[in-house]
Amino acid sequence: MKTVLHSLLILVVLSFAGTGRAATPNPTEQIKPFVSKVVDQLKDPSFKKDTVDNRIDKIVTLVSERFDFEEMSKRVVGKPWQRLTLAQRQEFATLFAKLLGHVYIDKVDTYVAMKIEFGKEQLKGDRAEVKTMFVDATKSIPVSYVMILKGDKWMAYDVFVEGISLVRNYMEQFKGIQQDKLISTLEIKLQELKAESERKGATP
Amino acid sequence: MKTYLRVVLLLCLALCGNTAQATESSGETSVLDDSFYESTPNEDTVPDPFEHFNRLMFEVNDVTYTWVMEPVASVYSRTLPEDIRQVADNFCYNLQEPVRFINALLQLRFSDAGIVLTRFAVNTIGGVGGLGDVAGTEFGFKRVEAGLGETLEYWGVGDGFYLVMPVLGATTLREFAGTTVDGLSMTPYYFFADSWREGAAIYMGRRVNNLSLRLGEYEGLKQLTIDPYAALRDGYFQSRAQSRKHSAPRTDDKL
Repeated sequence: MKTVLHSLLILVVLSFAGTGRAATPNPTEQIKPFVSKVVDQLKDPSFKKDTVDNRIDKIVTLVSERFDFEEMSKRVVGKPWQRLTLAQRQEFATLFAKLLGHVYIDKVDTYVAMKIEFGKEQLKGDRAEVKTMFVDATKSIPVSYVMILKGDKWMAYDVFVEGISLVRNYMEQFKGIQQDKLISTLEIKLQELKAESERKGATP
Repeated sequence: MKTYLRVVLLLCLALCGNTAQATESSGETSVLDDSFYESTPNEDTVPDPFEHFNRLMFEVNDVTYTWVMEPVASVYSRTLPEDIRQVADNFCYNLQEPVRFINALLQLRFSDAGIVLTRFAVNTIGGVGGLGDVAGTEFGFKRVEAGLGETLEYWGVGDGFYLVMPVLGATTLREFAGTTVDGLSMTPYYFFADSWREGAAIYMGRRVNNLSLRLGEYEGLKQLTIDPYAALRDGYFQSRAQSRKHSAPRTDDKL
């Protein structure tokens, strides 16, 4: 009887344990393979030869695996975000992702030449910060990713380069732009960037 | 031997003690809190009443950079190898260490003052007059920043207002006053400059040398911005706040 009760007790405990919250995934372990994938993509010789639009699409698709552009855009736009329609929010996030895509395609050689070292991480509830260091022969650039836990995935919504928050910097730039001009401003900027990238690509 | 020397130097610094002010970070908003993105404290507290003038100066600096500074620095960087340019940078940096030492003392950052003094002594003697950064590369004593602008801030002097100055770029009234006094206090070191023109030439030379080590960064920043003026102003304030977190730097290169 005692053995049966004991077994039942263990069973009950185990079934409750099963419904409990799973252990929090490790943000550094999640971001490491992602960074490698981005570097591999940038190193791919065929990537460099592709058109600007294709390169942007490829890199945005890849980066979206670990970057939450809507969380990022929400912070960049600030209070006016609440007044945007769902479609406008999605459009802004898509355009903003493309803008950041230019950071990668225009600086391919810089990033590929650098070694990435992973450092400490900081956890606070569903938020985490993972510190990395981009190192080459002459300099070290500290880069950290600020992330939010969505389901079992850590998604980045801000990047600090040498202690400067990318989101806060864009926040300051969008402050002076009227709500109805947010999307058109991004569209114009992207056209300029595309023309500039194509001009650079055409220059031997 | 190196380890022994480092232990002795650290012991000397420990004896100096450190009664520096409590870290600001204790009361600071964590980057993991949403409130971090609800306001931009520096821009909100430091007014920009001369924005029209500042934007004009920003344009002037942009043109000066694009058509004068950048081409000169590019030619300079192609002419002189990076090692030599780094040596020139080390030399100028070492000359300024006494000014940093005094400012660190005035900010009651005794441990940092000790590091600056150690760096100055080691680099002047072991680095052949400051040409090499032996203290940093061999003994791990990283550069410590301390200027009069920060000293004034420590003693409660406000920023005044935001300013964009020709060539110097983004600053505030207090920081500009601090940089000017720090610069003037350097003049006894320019023993080889007989006039203000030569002094100005040395200053421009230092700017070009420094720029040659960071070529391309400005273009990269400007290209991806919606409003380059606002981006630079925010970058200035964020970068300054970062460089003044002496107790717990977020950009700790040891990770």
